Amino acid sequence: MDLLLTLLLRNLGRNPRRSALTVAAVAMPVVILVLSFTIVAQLNRFLDDSAAQLRLAVAHKTSIINPLPYGHKARIAALDPQKRDIIAVVGIAWIGGVLANDREPLTTMGVDADEFPIAFTDHLLTQQEREAWQRDRRALIVGRSTAAKMGWKVGDRVTIRASIPPYSEFSFNVISTAPKAIDPVANWCHLSYVFEERARSGLPESSVDLVSFLFVKCSGRAALERYRVEIDRLFENTPDETQTQDEKAFLNQFISQQFDLPTNLTLLALITIAVAVLAAANTMNMSFRDRIGEAATLRALGFSARFGAWLSLTESVLLCGIGGCVGVLAPVIAFGYTPIGDVQIPLIVRLEIGPGVCVVALTLALAIGTIAGAWPAIQGGRLRVIDALRSLE
Amino acid sequence: MGAAGIVLRDVHKAYFKDRLEIPVLAGLNLEIAPGEFAALMGPSGSGKSTLLHLVGGLDTPTRGSVRVGESQLESMSESALTAWRSRHVGFIFQMYHLVPVLTAAQNVELPLLLFRMASSERKRRVQTALSIVGLGDRTDHRPNQLSGGQEQRVAIARAIVTDPDVLLADEPTGDLDARTSEEILNLLNALNTEFGKTIVMVTHDPRAAGHAGRTLHLDKGVLDREEVNARKTAAASAS
Ligand SMILES: Nc1ncnc2c1ncn2[C@@H]1O[C@H](COP(=O)(O)OP(=O)(O)OP(=O)(O)O)[C@@H](O)[C@H]1O
Ligand SMILES: [Mg+2]
Repeated sequence: MDLLLTLLLRNLGRNPRRSALTVAAVAMPVVILVLSFTIVAQLNRFLDDSAAQLRLAVAHKTSIINPLPYGHKARIAALDPQKRDIIAVVGIAWIGGVLANDREPLTTMGVDADEFPIAFTDHLLTQQEREAWQRDRRALIVGRSTAAKMGWKVGDRVTIRASIPPYSEFSFNVISTAPKAIDPVANWCHLSYVFEERARSGLPESSVDLVSFLFVKCSGRAALERYRVEIDRLFENTPDETQTQDEKAFLNQFISQQFDLPTNLTLLALITIAVAVLAAANTMNMSFRDRIGEAATLRALGFSARFGAWLSLTESVLLCGIGGCVGVLAPVIAFGYTPIGDVQIPLIVRLEIGPGVCVVALTLALAIGTIAGAWPAIQGGRLRVIDALRSLE
Repeated sequence: MGAAGIVLRDVHKAYFKDRLEIPVLAGLNLEIAPGEFAALMGPSGSGKSTLLHLVGGLDTPTRGSVRVGESQLESMSESALTAWRSRHVGFIFQMYHLVPVLTAAQNVELPLLLFRMASSERKRRVQTALSIVGLGDRTDHRPNQLSGGQEQRVAIARAIVTDPDVLLADEPTGDLDARTSEEILNLLNALNTEFGKTIVMVTHDPRAAGHAGRTLHLDKGVLDREEVNARKTAAASAS
């Protein structure tokens, strides 16, 4: 029925400003939804990738900011001298880091140079890189998005000041920009270099051999589960008790400690959806009242009450559907085809908006339209034709 | 479709406002022959529109019977009445009530959406209806690009496009100047004489009523008198 379609479309264009505002009101929560779903999905993918690495994270039981004695490493390794279950134990000392002329904080960590390539296989890919790493105690593996942002290349010499006492200056040689690493942000250096600097700066001996965490690379799921419990048992009732988690749980705790992204984004999306429903419902109500005479005329001509309801509802769904398309296309274009796409989001390399989230978002827009159109549709169905006609005379 | 007669027997209609009964029609009897053109006059608030709505199946009487053609309207359900309207009556209103976003031709086509009909057949009927009302050339104009008289012609075309038995017009010239009114009345006259439509027209204007064959006067809920228009009767018998 092309006449019906004409009627529907022309009705949409009847009050262009009102329609445009409604489209915007629907597009906004759709944008938020698309972005938040994408971010959460990519974070989850990151966490799942980490889980696949079969690593345990050992932290101080009191708090993850409490350091652990480096001596724990040997004691954990001694649990499995044959290295059948525990393939490698890596001490990690977080030093953060800032550049001399830049306030942007970095994520730099000192790691056991020998075990790191075994436990973190995704970072050092070539034989050449591995040799450079072993040979040079000032070697630095730079996260690829950090490298891109700073303009660092392999072979560069960079100076980083630690963010924690004694705030030593480290001078590194970039030996890799880790193109395949799961974590695109973090930089890695030799733990021995960190300890050396601490000793040289005159820190008391007890403060030198400390690590932030220990990562334990296991041979399989079963080993992972077993040592998750055994490591904590090993240090029970010692001054430095541990809390051991798989890497996914460990990282998740880090992310949610900073900002509970999934919950907050969902909340934000829900609020804007509610606003969109109100805005769209208001528009549809105003349109309905504007056209009450037409509705009555159509009924006088012999169109059913159901047809009137259908007309209202379809218009609402159509309008909100347009809002949904705008809301989906805006971020897809912005993040896919403009410089906005280069913006840095922690742990996320680049926002890739998948078709699944687009379908969900469009469905949501149509649902908003259905809810917003329901009231005028019911009103239209209940319309008393003669009263409506009389009100026009 | 052949013309239909209208028979009202002891029709009562009351409205309720705040539980208060407002009687409008009180035992009204009326007979309009198939193919008749009747004018309905009466003071404001006397129930003319109410009567027209009852005959057109837009409302049902509180009591009494309303028969239009073969249909007994008082016993029909709301949805049956809606379907009945689409086939048997055409409404013409004082303020035309055209859909402003549709062109003249699209407005006329609208009621045909209720019929199973090939698109070409629809277009042909729309063209026929528009040329009967003398608007064959302004079919692509929107209502706001038409004069009042032209809008009313479109509304009349919309009323006749489904070829109904009965046309019900509520003050169709109430918003038009004298000359345009005359044109519209002549058009209704032609629909009555040439196409045999039964027409009931509400009007406040005695000159308009003069175009009808008979003028019915409504007062205090009943038809208190009627007069036969001699000129019209003479014209009809002469043809
Ligand atoms: N829905 C309603 N509720 C209450 N009273 C109503 C309702 N509809 C009509 N009336 C009353 O019924 C009476 C008849 O109304 P109607 O519109 O039929 O008169 P009319 O003869 O067409 O008047 P006019 O010449 O002004 O058009 C009026 O007094 C009106 O106020
Ligand atoms: Mg009236």
